[in-house]
Amino acid sequence: MRSFEYVAAGDIRHAVQLLAEHGAEARILAGGTDLLADLKSSAHGPRLVIDISRAQALKGITLTPAGLCIGAMTTHTEIMRSALIAEHCPVLAAAAHTIGAVQTRNLGTLGGNLVTAVPSMDSGPALVALDAQVGLAGSAGERRLPLTDFFRGPRKTALKADELLIDIVIPATSLGKPAAFLKSGLRKGQALALVNAAASLWLDGKGRIIEPRVALGAVAPVVMRATDAEQFLAGRPPAPGVFVQAGALAAAACKPISDFRASAGYRRDLVAVLVQRALAQAYAMAEGRT
Amino acid sequence: MITIRFVVNGALQVLSVAPETTLLGALRNQLGLTGAKSGCEVGDCGACTVIVDGRSVNACLMLAVQADGCTVLTIEGLATREKLHPLQRAFEELAALQCGFCGPGAILSAKALLDVNPDPSRQEVRDGLAGNLCRCTGYTKMIDAVLHAAQELRAAPTSAATHGER
Repeated sequence: MRSFEYVAAGDIRHAVQLLAEHGAEARILAGGTDLLADLKSSAHGPRLVIDISRAQALKGITLTPAGLCIGAMTTHTEIMRSALIAEHCPVLAAAAHTIGAVQTRNLGTLGGNLVTAVPSMDSGPALVALDAQVGLAGSAGERRLPLTDFFRGPRKTALKADELLIDIVIPATSLGKPAAFLKSGLRKGQALALVNAAASLWLDGKGRIIEPRVALGAVAPVVMRATDAEQFLAGRPPAPGVFVQAGALAAAACKPISDFRASAGYRRDLVAVLVQRALAQAYAMAEGRT
Repeated sequence: MITIRFVVNGALQVLSVAPETTLLGALRNQLGLTGAKSGCEVGDCGACTVIVDGRSVNACLMLAVQADGCTVLTIEGLATREKLHPLQRAFEELAALQCGFCGPGAILSAKALLDVNPDPSRQEVRDGLAGNLCRCTGYTKMIDAVLHAAQELRAAPTSAATHGER
């Protein structure tokens, strides 16, 4: 690794101040699982590394009137073990469990996974299916935006040079919402997703689907919502044929690439199957069958 | 250079490190603890696995400065002068190592698992070792060894509890 200067930021204000001073010459160190691997392979590293891993304000999971607030520095292991996550949005724990392996999950953070913004990230689809929002802090103050607006492209986010991702909020209206996450990789451990998918839904008093969400990863430049499938599902009574049809609509809407892991056609077929299964699982939860 | 203080295998260490020094680099090059191996250097192989404050981590992906104030256990801290840790003995007796390069990391991943889950299922052991690549054994004997050691540790919890804590 090339040499750099190092500063441990004690709190959010300190980190933002450093970002405002050094901007593009600085990189944020959270869990380090992406950053250090990146710095080892890059020819020109940052001049300054700002370590936020000791900033207590960025850690922990709290239930607030607005929803469940997850500090950006919360590790994937902490999400897997959190009683609040298990009670209010267990799909996030299921998604966290598919990331890397134990060692990666012990260091890697939810915020880091989102900021790195690789299209195959495993934390994105479940969060999008729950209408998650992210909080950003910068010199001009704080702002909050939907996670879908945060992702701007492969490894590109809405973060400005002086901004820091501080938290992820699952809105109160999504807490307890039946949801499922499924991933298909070449192995169970240490494998990037060929495709991952999450689905969530409520049932109204007559047993019809309301507020369905279908989110897909690794089949577009960013985590995407399959809105055609969502519109098709809304207001319909759940039935196996309905989920098959929704899977087909999601497969038609996604834009996968062919690479050495899988062809675009194979990824499209996986989308159809994973969406169908995720919807069936969410429905089973909604009916109280699981 | 930055001064860090941390406890490694029970002994307080004070080191002066460059910011870009990884924990793995500090352990191997400054403390001479070469049990943790430098494999892929990007967090894929797990050969550098050590336990920091009770959590298994890839020491290649942690800066040494981030270990300031932490407690670190490496494979060198697992056995006593008199005897091997039950995991080490099980790996030896059940032939769970061949070339041995992945052994220190795999054994520490197993220890971190058993510390929080003393009675894991076979699938839980597989999940616990998923971050440790082995190109020799095919994993079957490793998983057998972890389950064997877990049984032994459950039968003698008091002696087991002192292992690696000194």
